[in-house]
Amino acid sequence: MPAVLVAVLAVFPIIGIPRAWLLYLFLFFVYLTMANMWNLLAGYTGLTFLGPAALIGLAGYTLVIVTWNDLPFYLGIIGGGAVAAAFAGLIAIPTFRMRGIYFAIGTLVLPEVLRNVFYIWKPIPGDFIGGGAGYIIKGIGGLSLTEFYWLALAIGIVSIFVMRIVLRSKLGLGLAAVRDNDRAAASSGVNVFALKLYAFIIAAFLIGAAGAIFYIYQGSIAPVSAFNIRWLMIALLATVIGGIRTEEGPLVGAAIVVFLHFLLARYGELSLLIQGVILVIIMLLVPEGIVGLVRRKTRNYQSLSQLGARR
Amino acid sequence: MEKHKQKMSGDALLKISNVDAFYGTFQALWGVSLEVKPGEIVALIGSNASGKSTLINTISGFIHPARGAVEFNGLDISMLDPFQIVTLGISQVPEGRRIFPEMTVSDNLVLGSYNRKARSDKELNLKRVYEHFPILEQRKNQLAKTLSGGEQQMLAIGRGLMSDPTLMLFDEISLGLAPKVTDELYKAVREIRAEGITILLVEQNVRRSLKEADRAYIIKAGRIALGKNAAELREEEIKQAYFGI
Amino acid sequence: METLGDLSRPILMGILLGGLYALIGLGLSMVFGVMKLINVAHGDLMIFSAYFAYALMTTWGIDPILSLTMGIPLWFVLGFAIQKYMMSRAFGISMEAPLIIAFGISLILQSLAQIIWSPYSRGLQAPYALGYISLGITTVPRTYLLSFVAALVVMLLLREFLRRSYLGKAIVAASQDKRGAELVGINTGRVYAFAFAIAMATAAIAGVFFGLTFPFTPTSGFGFLVVAFGVVIIGGLGSMLGTFIGGIVLGLTQTLSGHFLGGSVQMLFVYLIVFVVLAVRPQGIFGR
Repeated sequence: MPAVLVAVLAVFPIIGIPRAWLLYLFLFFVYLTMANMWNLLAGYTGLTFLGPAALIGLAGYTLVIVTWNDLPFYLGIIGGGAVAAAFAGLIAIPTFRMRGIYFAIGTLVLPEVLRNVFYIWKPIPGDFIGGGAGYIIKGIGGLSLTEFYWLALAIGIVSIFVMRIVLRSKLGLGLAAVRDNDRAAASSGVNVFALKLYAFIIAAFLIGAAGAIFYIYQGSIAPVSAFNIRWLMIALLATVIGGIRTEEGPLVGAAIVVFLHFLLARYGELSLLIQGVILVIIMLLVPEGIVGLVRRKTRNYQSLSQLGARR
Repeated sequence: MEKHKQKMSGDALLKISNVDAFYGTFQALWGVSLEVKPGEIVALIGSNASGKSTLINTISGFIHPARGAVEFNGLDISMLDPFQIVTLGISQVPEGRRIFPEMTVSDNLVLGSYNRKARSDKELNLKRVYEHFPILEQRKNQLAKTLSGGEQQMLAIGRGLMSDPTLMLFDEISLGLAPKVTDELYKAVREIRAEGITILLVEQNVRRSLKEADRAYIIKAGRIALGKNAAELREEEIKQAYFGI
Repeated sequence: METLGDLSRPILMGILLGGLYALIGLGLSMVFGVMKLINVAHGDLMIFSAYFAYALMTTWGIDPILSLTMGIPLWFVLGFAIQKYMMSRAFGISMEAPLIIAFGISLILQSLAQIIWSPYSRGLQAPYALGYISLGITTVPRTYLLSFVAALVVMLLLREFLRRSYLGKAIVAASQDKRGAELVGINTGRVYAFAFAIAMATAAIAGVFFGLTFPFTPTSGFGFLVVAFGVVIIGGLGSMLGTFIGGIVLGLTQTLSGHFLGGSVQMLFVYLIVFVVLAVRPQGIFGR
């Protein structure tokens, strides 16, 4: 069944689905990938990672370097993912030492550091847009929305796949133990650091790749947008609205976030305001997200007798 | 200070009726009932996971019973918040003491009088605590973390006294302390009782607790197994209830 | 490369700037120390206070520091409400919840500011805050000195409050042992709300002084969140004096790195130091 669905989605561009829909789906799959991976990190591994912008920005600039050196763009995507993954591996060492809330802040700082670095360092020397390291992406002139769409579809499917596999594997089991109580997990022989590292690297690769794909579509990159907090907002909002710690959550969430972006696009800043309000309201009233809520309701409906504590 | 000490004798000061209590979905107390009459020292005996601390925390309001009621002076306190229960006159000296390590001895004690009712009597209560534990007065400007284990326990008891309680709950005050220190602590406990404060104590050392108590309840796996006058409890009964032998 | 003799200006400026940074971090330090809450909206709340003062200044010509007589109580009440109705609920939901909600608030404030006042930078002005003042060895902008003095005053006031008043001691006690605090009859929910409210009041003050010293935009707050955290982390959470010193450390880092390596890298070094301290000694220099 899923294979059929994928096949149908794949032929969308060919059978004349409107541009707007393709664009919507393009963004959906890109955001889905980021949300899925953020869910993996924060929801399943207990790593409240607030720096996805760092990974996306790095991947984007890797894409720039690759394409400016006349290499094919898909190498840029893979390269972007690889650089993001390598970066994650690198910072794992200092950041994994930071517990809980410190980790969150530590990772929040990362995009800021990188943005400042890219203000003063130009990966490709010369004077381009944005003064600092603003570049256009080369070697993508021949591509159309169809190709962008397929790239996004691919990475989106991969991210769903990865989530499935990870959660059902030994890695997934280990992660659950780590998230609940990493000291207890460690004392029962789980190599906590390794587990977190694998999850982090895998997630970073996919986030980076998705970011690179986004920039292929966008066609240009500049530090202020590449390392922007809005990447975190997208991943966060999608995961929270959909349902953190659920497999389907990011799917629902990403769909809604893209819809919101389209709906509110003309309102500029108001769009962000509304997203912020939605985030707060959802977090307070429906913290388990839409999927979580639906599950809870159907579970309540199904059970006939209630066992247990009312407090 | 005398205001809440008058009570018709025979009427329970603290009455726990058929309480079920849960930690999440895990049931820790099953239909627990017990009574503490004014002026008594009642001991709660049980092995480690028996539910002793759960019961103490239920009385203090950290856990609310799913079923049953906790009554104090005839008032149902089951659903009150911990700070409200302190104001009503129940003070807990917790397991692990939970004093404020980076604050001075005197600050720790002063905070014991945080609730408004006790604040006006603060100086009086402080004097009373220093009478029970002169060493605390000596060390009053030292940081609490610099005190020895026994002294910290005294501080915890003293802090509990500062809220002007009618009922005090002692949770494992002798834990980790040498017998001589424990003797001093229990001397203070007797002095406290002599002032008219009712006491419910949880104590690992069964012999000790039976020595000090008027009555005792044995709790096992969240249920009250036995409740008798301390003097009447026989060895076999204790072993049976405690270990299930 | 500058000669060492020229260092007096960067050092002095660094110290004064550090005072402002400390002012930004003081409230955060208290909240973090008591509730272990990272209020990621702190910077934005601070900048919003600058915008509020700006609105009063441009509409009715009210002096920014004077406007604090309205700003402080307003921010206090706002803080109380946020903690009582949002954060306290969030704590019960999950570990990430308070963080996410604060994030949402941050976003709301940034976009609100951008809608009302546009992305262009604004500044607060006051006649006594213009120009430079001579401090013996060198001259510094008046605003730097004013901010430093304000920071010192606020720090000392907070310190005394925490040490001497019942509520202050309760806040400290709750941060050291929450259960112990509840056992002595402290309503920790209310205490937390007060702590947050006080933190917000300091954010209001910081905002005004910041606005007098530097131009600000709707997104300025975020950059200063990182600085505020750096200040807190370096100084050790909960310690008012430590936070003050933390501010000075960061201020000096910024001015000295700017002096030796040029203005464009100065913030980079500040962020780097924050990151390094987080990794190596998160409890700070004064922390336990």
